[in-house]
Amino acid sequence: MSLPFTSRSILRRVASCAAVAAMPLFLGGWLNWLTGPQSTIDVAGPVAKSQLDVFYVTVWVTGIIFVLVGGVLTYATLKYKARNAADEHAPTPPQSHGNPLVELGLIAASVLALVFIAIPTLKAIWYNYDVPAAEKQNALEITATGYQWWFKFEYPSEQIDGVGPLTTANELVIPAGRAVSINLRTTDVIHSFWVPKLAGKVDMIPNRGNHLWLKADTPGYFWGQCAEYCGEDHAVMRFRVIALNAADYATWLANQKAPARSVAAPDAAALAQPISAPYTFKNPGPNAPGWSAAFDADPLASWVKQQHPDANENPVLIAKGRELFTAKTCVTCHAIRGSEGGGAPFAPDLTHIGSRSTIAAGLLENTPQNLHRWITRPHEVKPGNKMYMGVPMGGGSVMNGYMKAEEGRLVPNISVSDDEAPALVAYLLSLK
Amino acid sequence: MEASSPAAHAGTETHSAPKRSWLFTRPTAKTGLVSWLTTVDHKKIGLLYGISALFFFLVGGFEALLIRIQLAVPNNTFISHQTYNEMFTMHATTMIFLAVMPLSAAFFNYIMPLQIGARDVAFPRLNGFAFWVFLVGAIILNIGWFVKSGAPDAGWFGYAPLTNKAYSDQFSGDMSTDLWIMGLQILGVSSVIGSLNFIVTIINMRAPGMTMMRLPVFTWMTLFTAFLIILSFPAITIALVELMMDRSFNTNFFEAAAGGLPILWQHLFWIFGHPEVYILILPAMGIISEILPTFSRKPLFGYPIIVFSGATIGFLGFGVWSHHMFTTGMGSVATAAFSLMTMAIAVPTGVKIFNWIGTLWGGHLQMRTPMMFALGFVWMFMFGGFSGIMHSAAPADAQQQDSYFVVAHFHYVLIGGSVFGLLAGIHYWFPLIFGRKVSEFWGKLSFWLIFIGFNVTFFPMHFLGLNGMPRRTAVYDGNMGWNDANLVATIGAFILAIGIVVYFAVMIRTYFKGEMVSIDPWDARTLEWSLPTPPPEHNYDVLPTVHARDAYWYEKTHKAEIAKEHAEHAKTESAHGGIHMPSQSWFPLLAAVGLLIGAILFVNHLFLWAIIGGGIFVLAVYFWAAEGPGGYHVHLDGDDSHGHDKH
Repeated sequence: MSLPFTSRSILRRVASCAAVAAMPLFLGGWLNWLTGPQSTIDVAGPVAKSQLDVFYVTVWVTGIIFVLVGGVLTYATLKYKARNAADEHAPTPPQSHGNPLVELGLIAASVLALVFIAIPTLKAIWYNYDVPAAEKQNALEITATGYQWWFKFEYPSEQIDGVGPLTTANELVIPAGRAVSINLRTTDVIHSFWVPKLAGKVDMIPNRGNHLWLKADTPGYFWGQCAEYCGEDHAVMRFRVIALNAADYATWLANQKAPARSVAAPDAAALAQPISAPYTFKNPGPNAPGWSAAFDADPLASWVKQQHPDANENPVLIAKGRELFTAKTCVTCHAIRGSEGGGAPFAPDLTHIGSRSTIAAGLLENTPQNLHRWITRPHEVKPGNKMYMGVPMGGGSVMNGYMKAEEGRLVPNISVSDDEAPALVAYLLSLK
Repeated sequence: MEASSPAAHAGTETHSAPKRSWLFTRPTAKTGLVSWLTTVDHKKIGLLYGISALFFFLVGGFEALLIRIQLAVPNNTFISHQTYNEMFTMHATTMIFLAVMPLSAAFFNYIMPLQIGARDVAFPRLNGFAFWVFLVGAIILNIGWFVKSGAPDAGWFGYAPLTNKAYSDQFSGDMSTDLWIMGLQILGVSSVIGSLNFIVTIINMRAPGMTMMRLPVFTWMTLFTAFLIILSFPAITIALVELMMDRSFNTNFFEAAAGGLPILWQHLFWIFGHPEVYILILPAMGIISEILPTFSRKPLFGYPIIVFSGATIGFLGFGVWSHHMFTTGMGSVATAAFSLMTMAIAVPTGVKIFNWIGTLWGGHLQMRTPMMFALGFVWMFMFGGFSGIMHSAAPADAQQQDSYFVVAHFHYVLIGGSVFGLLAGIHYWFPLIFGRKVSEFWGKLSFWLIFIGFNVTFFPMHFLGLNGMPRRTAVYDGNMGWNDANLVATIGAFILAIGIVVYFAVMIRTYFKGEMVSIDPWDARTLEWSLPTPPPEHNYDVLPTVHARDAYWYEKTHKAEIAKEHAEHAKTESAHGGIHMPSQSWFPLLAAVGLLIGAILFVNHLFLWAIIGGGIFVLAVYFWAAEGPGGYHVHLDGDDSHGHDKH
C-alpha cells in the first residue's frame, strides 16, 4: 500500500481540519441568530413552548436520519468513486437491480420514525387549539381585528357606558399568567396574528370566526407582526403585546377605560403668544428606522415610562394641538373619547395614544420626532397607508385622507406643516 | 450539424397527389424561421420550450436579485414596497410557470419520445400549439412591466380577497391582477394540452417490447407529471374563472363584503398548488434516476419501488393540500388529518433517496458534471425534505408558516431539487442534442459556484424564519436580529448568480466551440443514446425492439442479435412505405395568436372586441381540422444496413 500523503491530500486534510475547527464559531454565530425579539426558539408562554417542543422532536428525528443517511451517502460516494483512469476503465460492476428486503426494511424504519413525530404533533394540535378547560373560567377574551394595515384590539369584558368595549390599537395589554383567548377578525383582506414568543400564528380571514389562545408566563414586552401578505404595507403592519402583573394590569385598565386625559387650556392671552417647538425636527427620509437602542435595553420599563405625563409638557401647545385636531379633520376618523368624541370604526382609537409605546402600527417608537414625522409625512413612513390615500367606503366612494381624487389624479386634501406639527404632537402625547 | 446525420442523404416525397388550395399547402421549410414557426418536430418544440424557459429563468433570477439587494440591509430604500411586492409575485410566478415547468416540458418533449423509441408524439400539431399557447401566457403575465398599471402584485398564490377589485384597484384603474389571472389560465391550457399529448404518447407509441415496466424512469415521471397536471389544473382553472367573473362581471365568489368566501380560494388553489409542487419535482427526480445509474455504471436500485413511490407521491399529493393552510383555523381534526397525510408522503420520498444511494452502492462512480449536479440534488433535496417533515408537524408549522423558514424549505426543494435536476439534465443530454460536450473543468466550476452560492443564500434563511422574520416583507428593522443572516443571504445570492452566469456562458461557448462527441459519449443505458448526435428528424432509422429495461445497455451487450433484428425490421418498414412523418402546419401558431389577441382585449375589459381574437382562434382551429393530419414518407437511400447501429 502506498503512503497516502501526497502534497494534495495533505492540503486537503489541513483544509478539512480547519473547517472542523471553525465549526463551533460558525454554529455559535448561528445560535446568536435565534434570540431576536420575534424568536420562536426563545419563547415566553406555554403555547409557543408546546410548538417549540414539537419542533425539537422533528429536529432530533430528522437530525438522526440525516446523520445515518448522509453518512451512508458520503461513504458510498467516497468508496465507490472512480479516482483514476484505471477505475474509469474498470470492467462494469455487477448489474444488480435492488434488494426487496433492504427496501421494505427501510420503508418500515421511515414509518416508525414518523410515528415518533406524529404522537407529540397530535397532542400539541389539540392543546394549541383552545384554552385548556381548567383555565377557561379565568381566561380573558379579546377581539383582534385586522385592517389594512393596523390591528384593533377590543376587550368585550370591559364595557364603557354608552361607547361599547374598551378599544385600543396596535398594542395589546394582557395580564401575565392568565390565559387569553383572542377572536380573530378582519374587515378587509386576510391578515395573520403572530407574536412568535407567545404563540404561532392564526389567520384573520373574512367571513370566518377564527381564534387562538396564548399566555405570557411573566410580565414582558413582545413583538408581533402580520404574517399573511395583505397588500402594499404588509411589511410594516406590526404590533406589540405587553404582559403585566395583575395589579399593573388593573391600573392600566382603569386608566384606559377613563375618558381622554384633559390638560387645562391657558387663557386666551397665553394662547395668542407665538411659541417655538420643544424639539427640532429632522426628517430621516423614507423607510428610516423608528426604534432606539435605549428603548430596547428594557422595553417593558420604557413602556411603563410612557404611561406617565411628560413633566415638561406645554399647555399652550397642547391647547393649540387640540384645536388643530378638529381643524385638520383628524377627528372625523379618529376617536378621542371624552374630549372630541367623533371617530370612525376603521381608524385607530386615539383616546390614550400618548400612553402607547409605538405609533404607525408598531412601526415607530412613540416619540415627538417620530410622531411629527408620521403626521407630516405619512406616505414616507408607510407608503399607501389609508390615512394618506383615503379609505374606500365601498361602492366607489372614498373617505378622503391627506389626499383626494380629482379627475382621476390624487391631489392634496389635508396637510400638516412642520410648523403646525409640534402642537399636534404635544396634544397627542398628552393623551396618556 | 446536418452533416453528422446519417439521414443526410435521405429523400422525401409528399404523400398527397391531388393539388390543394394554397390555404392548405403545408409548409415544408426544414431550416430558417418558418421551420421553427410551423414545426411539429418534438425535438424542435423541446428546444423552443428549453430556450424560452431558460430566458424566463434568467428574468426570474434577476427579480430575485432585486429582492435580495433590497433585503441586504434593514430599512432599505432600493425599491419601493409596491415594486418589492411586484418582484416577489413575479419571481414566484415566473420561476414556477415560466421556468421550471417549461424546462421540464422541454425534456418531456425532446427526450421522452426518444426514450420510448417513437418518431414523434401522438399529436404533433397539438404539441406545437401547446408551446405557442405557453408563450402567449408568458407574454401576458409579463405585459405588466411595460404598462402603467404595473406587474401583478397579489402574490403567486393570489389569496382572495386581496385579488378582488375592491383591494387591487383601490385607488387607480389596475389590470395587473387581470393579467395575472389571464396569464395563468392560458398557461394552464398549454400544460393540460401538452400533458394529454404525453399521456397518449407514452401509452400508445412505445416501441415493440417497451412494456410499462421497462420504461425508463424519466418517462415514468413524465407520465406521472402529466397525470398530475391534468388532474390538478382543473381546480385552479375553476378558481381563476370564478375570480375573473368576480372582477369582470361583479359576481360574489370571493367578494367578502357581499358574503363571498375567501377561504374557498385557498382550498381550490392548493388542491392545484400542492400537486403542482410534485409537478415541479417529479421530472427532476426522473432525470436524476437516469443520471445516477449511467455514471454509477449499474442499473437503478429497486426500479419497481422507485416507480411505485413516484405514483404514490403523485397520489398522496392530492391529499395534503391543507398543510398550506394549517394557520387558517381548520379545527383540530382537519389539521391532524392533513398533518398525518403530509408525514405519510415523506415515506415514498425517502424511499427514492434510499434507492438512489443503493444505485451508487457498489458502482463505479464517474464524477462527471451531470453526476455532480445529481449528487447535489440528492443532498439538497434531502435537506429540503427534512424541513418539509418539520412543517408537517402542524404545531411547529404554526411558527414556521409564512416565515423565512418556509422560504428556505421550498428553495431547497425547488432549487436544490428541481433546478439542480434540470441543470443536471441539460449537461447530461447536451451531447445528444448538440453533438458537443461541456468541458469538465468549467462544468464543475459552475456546479461548485451554484452549490455554494445556493447554500450560502438559503441556509441562513432557516435561522431568519426561526427568529421570526415573516415572508413577503419589503423592509425590516435593524433591532430584530435579522441583519447578519440577510446580508449573508444576499452575498450568497450573488455567488449563485455568478455560478448561473458561468453555467450559461459555458453552455453557449460549448454550443459553438465545444468538444465534438459521437454516439453515446457517457456509455449510457437508455434508448435515446443509440441515436446519432444530433438525432435526425425521424429519430430512428429502424424502430428499435426492446428486450429489457435499460434497453440500450442490452443492445450494447447483444450486438449481433440486435443487428439481425434491425435488418429484418427495416425490410418490413420499407415494405410499408418507409418512415412516416407528420407535416408542418401554420395553424397551431395562428390559433395561439388568436388567443393572445383575445386575451389582451379581454384583460382591458373590451369584451366585445375580445371576440375578434376568439374568432381568429376558432377559424384557425377549423382550418387546422380541415387541413387534415397530412404527412410524408422518408426513404433512407441504399442499403438498409447503413443505420446508426453500425458504430
